[in-house]
Order: sequence, then structure tokens, then C-alpha cells
Amino acid sequence: MIEFKDAAVVAPDTGVPILHPTSLVLDEQRITIIGANGSGKSTLARLINGLALPVEGQVLVDGLDTRKYGSRVRRKVGFLFTDPSQQLIMPTALEDVMLSLRRSVRSKDERVKAALAALEDIGLGNKGDVSVNALSGGQRQLLALAGVLTATPTIVVADEPTTLLDLRWKAHVGALLHALPIQLVEVTHDLEAATRAQRTLVVDDGAVVFDGNPDDAVAHYRDLMYRKTVGTSA
Amino acid sequence: MIVLGTYRAGSSPLHRLPALAKVLGLIAWGIVTMIFTDPVTSLGIAAAAVLLLISVLPPLWPTVKGMAFIVIVAALAAAYQVYRGDFTMGIDIAADLVGLFSVSIAVTTSTPMGELLDLAAAAFRPFRKVIPPAIPGLMFAIMIRAIPEVATIMRQSRDAAKARGVQRSPQALMIPTATRTVGFALDLGAALHARGIGDEATEDAVPARRTRLPKPKPTQ
Repeated sequence: MIEFKDAAVVAPDTGVPILHPTSLVLDEQRITIIGANGSGKSTLARLINGLALPVEGQVLVDGLDTRKYGSRVRRKVGFLFTDPSQQLIMPTALEDVMLSLRRSVRSKDERVKAALAALEDIGLGNKGDVSVNALSGGQRQLLALAGVLTATPTIVVADEPTTLLDLRWKAHVGALLHALPIQLVEVTHDLEAATRAQRTLVVDDGAVVFDGNPDDAVAHYRDLMYRKTVGTSA
Repeated sequence: MIVLGTYRAGSSPLHRLPALAKVLGLIAWGIVTMIFTDPVTSLGIAAAAVLLLISVLPPLWPTVKGMAFIVIVAALAAAYQVYRGDFTMGIDIAADLVGLFSVSIAVTTSTPMGELLDLAAAAFRPFRKVIPPAIPGLMFAIMIRAIPEVATIMRQSRDAAKARGVQRSPQALMIPTATRTVGFALDLGAALHARGIGDEATEDAVPARRTRLPKPKPTQ
């Protein structure tokens, strides 16, 4: 369970608020977050695994404060970035998955086996020795997901995981994410994908302006954006 | 895309040698090359080096290009020595350069990058009290990972400069390349953080210390 208690974030140098004090309890299995560019939704997502820390208030994951127990929280919360190139640390696919297994599997042979199995599961079985830079964008995102999942998190936070992908990969990665047997918090610009959730948050100007049913949330968001651009309701 | 390392799978004698032996051999070869300064021996060693390189069947074109470059450098160095009137020194230097370059390509062609990285990490083991054992390997891996990424950033910056008609300006290439490289480093840092990699390295270091010290301190 994820809990925000009056958590607020301001820009470090200018003091401009990025997220106004926000209180939320997120315990649904499928939660999506939508909002305009720069609205603060990425910050909201990053607060969950302690990549961003609140300047006021606190964020708790299963009762653990992200400020005090950062590394324990990150062991529970896997994070998928928009650009998989950012997430992949090692030069080849196999090595990258093995990196996630370092803590849990001590023997190197076992680690190779487990990593190969993870690659096989995600559909990259024949890409183990391929340079990360030689994979396509979609394959890289799959590899990033494999790296996240092998660390056995109980929550996955995905920050626009399909924004850079073509339609086919978008569908594929989206389907994989939604089939996960763990809690998923997904930030997305794909409004169709946003409705495949139990609860949707709309973030605007650093505040959660709508929280509830996904279809209503998308309608609210469309209305908000149309009003901003043309000054009339959609 | 940039191919990392020049490793080519094969079954030559050099391929079958362990990485450590090859690296030690390379060092020994360097020392021997430096010791012998008479032109006949130097040429002999260089010829052996080229044969060794051929034995591992390196990729043809990159190798030829690399060798052409080193031959030019060697020729210039030799020309300078001949100009100074030291003919034998000229031959020695040229032969040494070509020979050492050949042997090093032979080693990198016949050794997978992973084995070299493991070796580099192992070389840090005596310092494990200061540097956690997981760190050196990670450090080299990140370095390898960053090279093609920086090359991509550079290519994109050059394209952007071209598209905006400022391809002559060195700032238009260097400034975005530098700032975006720093950006990539920050992103990679966030990824390491998100995946708990730094945490793991420090956790690794603790048991290593406990087993080595007879009386561990109760707190760190």
C-alpha cells in the first residue's frame, strides 16, 4: 500500500512548487496517472520509490518512509522509465538482467541461468549476448521490464513506459504490464490505456485535480485541456 | 551502431588461452620488445606479432584500417629517426610499434569483453576494504555502456547543428554533446538508484569486512 501524507515537492533552486501538499492512499491493483507535460505526474511517480523526496510531509510504502528506508522501499517498488536506454546499465542484455539478480542469487552460474530464464519469459531468449544499443526501442523496454521484474518487486511504477514505442510495441508492453500479478501505478499519455485501471488520478499544475473512476478521469482531463487551449468546454 | 570491442568467436590457440595468461603475455611481450633494440630481432618479433594476429582471424576491414594508421605513425617515427641519422633506431621503433599494436589487437580479438572486465575487477580485489568488490566491475561496465551512448548523443547533436545550418560552429556540436552527456550520467545515476545498485554494493562490502577482521566493530 502506498500512502502520501501531505507530501509536497518544490524546485530546489527556485522554490517553485512542483507538487502541492498531497494526501493519497493508493491500494488498488491498477492505478493510472494522467496529466499535461510538466504537470507534476512524474514527480508524483518518483515520490513512490524515493527517487524524489518530499520537502514536506511523507510518503510511505507498506508503512516504510521513503526518506528513512529508501533502499528497502526500492526493493519493493520497481521503476520503469520512459526511455529504456536510461534504465539499462550493463552493456549486454544478459548482464543487465544479472545485475538485478546480484542480491538474490549468489552463485554466478545460477545467476546466468535465472537471467536467461527471465529473458526467455519476456521473449528475448535469443538476445542475451546482444549489445543493449543494438536492440530496438521496444526490445529495450522489454529488457528494462525484465530487469525490474527479476528483482521481485511487489509494486511496479511505470513512468510513461509506452510513450516512445510504436503501436505494436505499445500494445505488447501495455499487455505485459497489465498482466502483472502485482500492483501497478502507470503514468501515461495513452488515454485508452489509462482507462484500463481501477482508479485514475488527473494531475494538473502540481495538484491531483481528479481522483476516481478512469472513464470520468479521462473525460475530466480532456475537458481541462480543451478549456486551456480554446477556452471552451469539449 | 558502434560495435563494442573487436572480439570474434574462434578456436585459435590464443582463443583457448585464459584471459589472464593473455594479458600477462601481452605485458611480457611489451617488455621483450623494449629490451631488444637491434633491427633484425625487432623485425623478427614484429613479424611474429603479425603472424599471431593473423592466427586469430580478426575482422578484415577494421583491422586493416587500424593497421594502416599505425603503419603511418610508425613510418613517421622511423623517418624522424632516419633524419636524425639513426637508421637502426628508426627500424626498431617502427617494428616495435607495429608489433605491439598487432599483439594487442590479437588479444582483444580473441578475448570476450566480459572476461577482460572480470579480470579488471579481480585486479581491484586487494583493495576491497576501500572499494567494495561490486564497484570496479560496475565501473568498467558503465564505461563500456556509455561509449556508444555518447557517440549517439554526438551524432544527434551534429545532425541538429546541420539541420539548423550551423554545422561549422564547434560550439553547436560541443555544448549540446557535453550537456546531454552530463544529463545521461544523471539519468544513469537515477537508474542505479532506482534499481538499488549502490545499496547492494555497500551491503556486499560489509560481509567482506566481517570475514576478514577478527574483531568486527559492532556498528559501522
